[in-house]
Amino acid sequence: MNKQVLIIGGKTQTKSLAESLLIKKYEVTVINEDYHFCKLLSEINGIEVIHGNGGKPYVLEDANVGEFDIAIAMNDSDADNLIIGELCKYYGVKKVIAVISDPKKTDFFYRMGIDSVVCATTAIAGILEQQAIMDELATIVPIGEGRIRLTEVTVPNDSPIIGETLAAIPFPKNVIIGCILRENGSIVPSGDTRIADNDTLLLITRKEDEGKAIKIITGR
Amino acid sequence: MRLFGDKKKDDLTIIVGCGRLGSSIANQLSANDVNVVVVDDNQDSFRRLSTSYGGLTFLGDATDIDILKELNMASANQVIVVTENDNVNIFVGQMAKVMFNVPKVIVRVYDNDRQPIYAKMGIETICPAELSAEAVNIILGGALECNYE
Repeated sequence: MNKQVLIIGGKTQTKSLAESLLIKKYEVTVINEDYHFCKLLSEINGIEVIHGNGGKPYVLEDANVGEFDIAIAMNDSDADNLIIGELCKYYGVKKVIAVISDPKKTDFFYRMGIDSVVCATTAIAGILEQQAIMDELATIVPIGEGRIRLTEVTVPNDSPIIGETLAAIPFPKNVIIGCILRENGSIVPSGDTRIADNDTLLLITRKEDEGKAIKIITGR
Repeated sequence: MRLFGDKKKDDLTIIVGCGRLGSSIANQLSANDVNVVVVDDNQDSFRRLSTSYGGLTFLGDATDIDILKELNMASANQVIVVTENDNVNIFVGQMAKVMFNVPKVIVRVYDNDRQPIYAKMGIETICPAELSAEAVNIILGGALECNYE
């Protein structure tokens, strides 16, 4: 059977999350307090919509919340999301994910038994920062709650490392060049691989070392 | 009126939410020489405190863990959480219990549907509707009590 996901609260993100989960063959149920938003969602094929306050036990009981594999609490208020998450856990949901806006609350949420805590603010701030500061970057994928990053950097044609071997480039310790995309192929590099103009490097770095590594590659 | 028995100078009570209930408890505790700090995120709320209130006021959002640290919540003997929002109350109550090990945490909740969850958390909840029903019951001489005869 397909996995069942319950999304509680939220607005725009709820819709796009629900749609993308549907494509991935999850069974999606949404609980939302906004009647008009519920109407709008119910137009989408395959989503089950419940109009109600997800913080109320009787609403969750109506939704048969205990049957769900995953519940995602994504209201604006962190306090609401914690209580909803705890209620979901209480009713036996296997995995509960809570979205929070204040990153300092992450530890507390984990201690209260929430399985996964997503901090929207740090994620968005991180992306904006990258976009604003370094336009050389194509993609950044945060892994392990953002501690590790997978970054794609294209070597500019005035870069100081063109022609150097990887071993000779003074990268910080926690930086690995996982792959080099050159023309139409890809190379898994070793220490004696030389960097060429217009190579795209796939970096695996610790969050703190990412900036240093990019500085070395771009020379800026 | 004594709310917490003998007065102790080194006793610290933190009250979160300076509404009608919060301010009235604060006033009474302060009159009984208990160390009180009242927290609210709206400066105007503190106007509810009486002119003779001798405790402290603290402007800030009590769901922010830094604010709670600044308040020195870990040294509080009791925390009374009485804001207008049930979820905020429970949230702050749990923080007090779990992150700061406050011995006595009292939380006001309007909606007592979630009682089983609250009970599991080891915080005491008071529900105005239930208390009112009890008072009505007393006035009516026990008319609300179940009678299985």
